[in-house]
Amino acid sequence: MKKRLIAIVFIFVLALFFTSATNVLAAAKLAKKQVLTIAFDAGDSKSFDPHRSATTVDRSTVDTIFNGLVRYPPGNQVKPEPDIAKSWTISKDKKVWTFKLRKDVFFHPFPGQSDGYKLTSEDVVYSLKRASDSKHSAYAGEYKGVSFSAPDAYTVVITLENPMSGTLFLAKFASYAGGFIVSKKALEAKGDDWFKIHPVGTGPFMFKSYAPREKTVLVRNPKYFRGASVLEKLVIRYMPSVSSRELGLRTGELDIIEGQNEEKWVDKISQLPGIKVQAFGPCETQMVHLNMTKKPFDNLKVRQAVAYAISRGEVAAFMGSSLAVPIYSSAMAPPAAGALTKKEAKKAGVLFEGNIKKAKALLAEAGFPNGFKAEVIISELATSYRKPMVGIQAQLKKAGIDITLKVVDHSAFHSLIRDDASPMVLYACWRPNADVFLSRFYHSDSVVVSGKKPDTNFSHYGTVDADGDGKVDSIDDLIEKARLELDTNKQSAMWRKAQIQLLKHAAVVPIIRLKYAFPMKSYVDLGHPLVFSWSTYSPQITEKTRILAH
Amino acid sequence: MLNYIIRRILQSIPILFVVLTLVFVFVRVLPGDPAVAALGDYASKEAVQALREKLGLDVSLWVQYFRFLGNLFKGDLGTSLITGYPVAKQVIRVLPYTLELTVCAILFGYILGIPLGISAAVRRNSFIDYFNRVFSLLGLSVPAFYLGILLMYLFSIKLMWFPVVGGGDLSDPLDNLRHLFLPGLTLGLIMTAYITRMTRSSLLEILQDDYVRTARSKGITDRRVLYKHALRNALIPIVALGGLYAVVLIGSSVMVEIVFSRPGLGSLMVGAIKQRDYNTLQSVMVIYAGMVVVINLMTDLIYGLVDPRIKYK
Repeated sequence: MKKRLIAIVFIFVLALFFTSATNVLAAAKLAKKQVLTIAFDAGDSKSFDPHRSATTVDRSTVDTIFNGLVRYPPGNQVKPEPDIAKSWTISKDKKVWTFKLRKDVFFHPFPGQSDGYKLTSEDVVYSLKRASDSKHSAYAGEYKGVSFSAPDAYTVVITLENPMSGTLFLAKFASYAGGFIVSKKALEAKGDDWFKIHPVGTGPFMFKSYAPREKTVLVRNPKYFRGASVLEKLVIRYMPSVSSRELGLRTGELDIIEGQNEEKWVDKISQLPGIKVQAFGPCETQMVHLNMTKKPFDNLKVRQAVAYAISRGEVAAFMGSSLAVPIYSSAMAPPAAGALTKKEAKKAGVLFEGNIKKAKALLAEAGFPNGFKAEVIISELATSYRKPMVGIQAQLKKAGIDITLKVVDHSAFHSLIRDDASPMVLYACWRPNADVFLSRFYHSDSVVVSGKKPDTNFSHYGTVDADGDGKVDSIDDLIEKARLELDTNKQSAMWRKAQIQLLKHAAVVPIIRLKYAFPMKSYVDLGHPLVFSWSTYSPQITEKTRILAH
Repeated sequence: MLNYIIRRILQSIPILFVVLTLVFVFVRVLPGDPAVAALGDYASKEAVQALREKLGLDVSLWVQYFRFLGNLFKGDLGTSLITGYPVAKQVIRVLPYTLELTVCAILFGYILGIPLGISAAVRRNSFIDYFNRVFSLLGLSVPAFYLGILLMYLFSIKLMWFPVVGGGDLSDPLDNLRHLFLPGLTLGLIMTAYITRMTRSSLLEILQDDYVRTARSKGITDRRVLYKHALRNALIPIVALGGLYAVVLIGSSVMVEIVFSRPGLGSLMVGAIKQRDYNTLQSVMVIYAGMVVVINLMTDLIYGLVDPRIKYK
């Protein structure tokens, strides 16, 4: 008995020793100063109010300050998981979603609430109602026909006018855009204008200071419900010059930088000692929308000629094959639901791979044997717009389509294309799901200028006869039916069908999706693998991110 | 003198008013909407319209113009249309950085430029003269952002002497000076090029004047002729045009501020143009115009000090 007791004590002491030793070793691996500085290609922040933040740098900042009911796991955002909500149930008709909240979530301190306060369903309902109001939110359109209630302090009920599949529903309530939960007390006490430069959330980092056009400093939230962050401070710098960011990374003043999405640059910087480059997807898709109301793009054969003249493979090679991947869908890119693979596009007869001979023949059939000229407006931004468009311009020239590029600054570009000023629009973006893409780019309500809710339907699809049979062609029905479809497989099939129709009518030419490159010091451990991050377009900084000893 | 200063200040008011009006009109003629810039391309049309109304951009241009003038007369520069941050606070925060950069560049310019110009003029057509001419030509032709990156590469990457990011902490003089040195040198080398060329040509002209020849014929040493007689007169245009170049320098500081990621009026202005932040842009332009007026006035006053023949009426 005595021997047994001694043995137990011995094993216990040994276990304790190993645990401590492991902890000591783990601690020894960390740098003493846990301050991470990340620099973005931005002149300034625009808003820390998550319901209004839209740029890469602002999305990345609010991602560390706020939470949603659910979240996509950092670094590999494919399937949602609980965030502020610990669980949820769905009614049989899929119209009522009930979320049970965690009870250990605290808002950050702010003037008047020096210790912060515990999040309840009151905050969640307030926040979601705010996200639904266009006076306070850029994402109000996402929440039409949705109502919110709080039966008790830790339960939130979301009721839909029409049922919705999990794919669409959860994306609206994830830690992204309108899904971020803001502090009711802070907003009621201080107002919107104060809040947009003094954000109060529940995330791993708390807002400390903001120096316009220079930097924002965030500090550790000791009460974070997943545990306090390893980093004590996170500094976000606004640095529009890529050379300056690169030099800052090399001197060690910066730990992570937004890179240049060009292969040569990425190759060069990845060869520097002590620097690793993370290129990840899906990031932005680049598509060329053809305005079917403007001559000669009102002719299907002309549009098909354009589609044949463009070689996605060549554009991808021009941009760098390690960063650019050809795409074959007019809305999403794989692995997202509803996207078309190359095989599927080929099978449906909508591949249109670069074929100059075919393009010329189609132009001749359309009455343009010598090609034609057009002026196209394009943004000054190099990698997302100007560079791929220069590649496309050269390809079209081979087929006899001579386009002149009118380069304007990015703000002017967005205004002009929404005024229907360009017959061809190269648009680079990412949207959370195929429904958003299809609704905003191809639904008749979204036609620029003349639509019921003018948005980004540059091709005017849904309001014109696309194939010359005398009838207006539309995918409005398919979009709306797919939105109500609860079976995700059937929903994906409908989205694919809509996309095939768009491609058949050559309203849009999908080109590439461009991954983002974020070089960082080798000693930075993000705390998660970086594979697929669509909500921030940047590596997410979480409570697990740390700086290793170096 | 006081009357002269007051008159000059009063004369500058219509100039400022014209600048204000032109900036107000030009910035709105450009395509681009601050509400779209603020909310991004994902925002719905309703949200953009709601923000336009909130920012007061839905009313006529005349109303916006008179509101702007009214606020300005009250000393209110307004808030940034994009961030909501008070413009006056932004300007007060960044102005010291721009001023210290400009002063540093002027100091570099005069400290390096005058001796180089003198040596080139005294040893005309010698190796030193050729070297100085090539140096000043380079200084005038190399863009500030390129020179800045070269200096960063040498002093920060290779030698690791100076930081490259930010303007440093104003409350920590040492840290501030470390951050100021390279941008100051970048602009300073450009200023040096101007001053060198100006000193050389001005001194060469003076050295051929009759009174210099007379002084020499009286047996006064070359050194005394140069410093006591020639240089004093040669300095008059250097001081006068130095003010003009300081104004040019403020313009060049934009690129230096961006390359070195320094806070400053230049980067504030460029950011405001890109984001169509009318309030910030208008205010910064007013301050720029004010600075130019003040520098010109100071130049005139200094001109009077170095040239006793000038009388202010």
